[in-house]
Amino acid sequence: MFNIEEFDIKLDTDFIGRNFIYSDEVDSTNSLLLTKKDFNIDGTVLLAEFQRSGRGRKNRTWISNAGQNLTFSILLINEIKENKANHINLGASLAVAQALENLYQLNVELKWPNDVLVSKKKISGILIESSSKGSKINRLVVGIGINVNQPNFPGKFEIQPTSIRKEFKSTVSREKLLSEILNNFEIIYYQLKKNATKILNDWRNRCKLIGEKIKIVEEDKILNGVFEDIDEDGFLLLKVGNKIEKIYFGDVSLR
Amino acid sequence: MDINLLKKLIKMVEQSEITDFSVQEGDLKVKISKNTHNAANFSFQTPIEYSRPMVQSNAAIPIVESPSVEIKRETKSDLHEVKSPIVGTFYRAPAPDADPYVEVGDSIATGTVLCIVEAMKLLNEIESDVNGKIVKILVENATPVEYGQPLFLIDTK
Repeated sequence: MFNIEEFDIKLDTDFIGRNFIYSDEVDSTNSLLLTKKDFNIDGTVLLAEFQRSGRGRKNRTWISNAGQNLTFSILLINEIKENKANHINLGASLAVAQALENLYQLNVELKWPNDVLVSKKKISGILIESSSKGSKINRLVVGIGINVNQPNFPGKFEIQPTSIRKEFKSTVSREKLLSEILNNFEIIYYQLKKNATKILNDWRNRCKLIGEKIKIVEEDKILNGVFEDIDEDGFLLLKVGNKIEKIYFGDVSLR
Repeated sequence: MDINLLKKLIKMVEQSEITDFSVQEGDLKVKISKNTHNAANFSFQTPIEYSRPMVQSNAAIPIVESPSVEIKRETKSDLHEVKSPIVGTFYRAPAPDADPYVEVGDSIATGTVLCIVEAMKLLNEIESDVNGKIVKILVENATPVEYGQPLFLIDTK
């Protein structure tokens, strides 16, 4: 059972998570916050113990044991400028990374655009969904899944998963972890509103693939090159021969 | 010749209408020329050449074009453009095997979801900001779109 009091004591934010919804089971925390327009408090956090259809990109599923992990979404309803959405994307993975470093001293690595890895295994995945009317994004949800106390991961995966319990060799408080992530996220969000440079640099510092030969896979297309950098909008710059290609999406891995 | 004088001369020519200027002092001849046709020398070349992003090769849903007659009949002011708020890839359906959100000829209301544009791991649903009828879908499924690129034409009459 998630102890809301324990979570609340550690929460140190102005608005992120101040409106907190706890749910046993939903289809997807992202879908619910995005489509139910009566959720209209900025910073609302919806935590579900179980998602019937948790998902990632391309309708990939996100499977998580009930009650052992964290699956939640953060709703942002202030007007968001277009490139800020990408910054929030990178910033969300940074918020998770910092929490894992601060609380459990884990050696965290970020994989473009927003996977969080420990020992080259996936510990957290993030999917952002937004809706725009006209040319303005007016609702944005940051969906975050973290493997916390799940002891093992039977099955086949594209990237081997791991959990904090496996890496830290102990079960941990989900309440403390959630509040730490939300505290970090709010600080990052405020920083991004002013200037993205620091956040982009903090992200770069945790991305071990910059400068490496990588491949980017999307559907049946494979692109090989050198991971030059990310640009000011967060897009991946891939050096292919003498040309730089700007990459918007795809699965990145070492060649 | 004094270097400062030379600088002054260049500045003077720069700020004037004069395109060619020459002066001789002893055996030193200075010619300053503003070649206005050769503007390319002053343009900045982008150091990075961006090419198109990765594109899904199997475009499952073909673009549906409305009869051109119908478009000509409309006056421009009745047609509302829905533009992309982000750079990314345009998808007409929520999943590769799902039906498109809208087709040409569909009546739509403010808030109807028209498409998804994806960039990084961000899926942005674009809702209509007007009531009307879809007249034209301007972009093919699973192709890259730029910021502000028109995606749909909607007849608001």
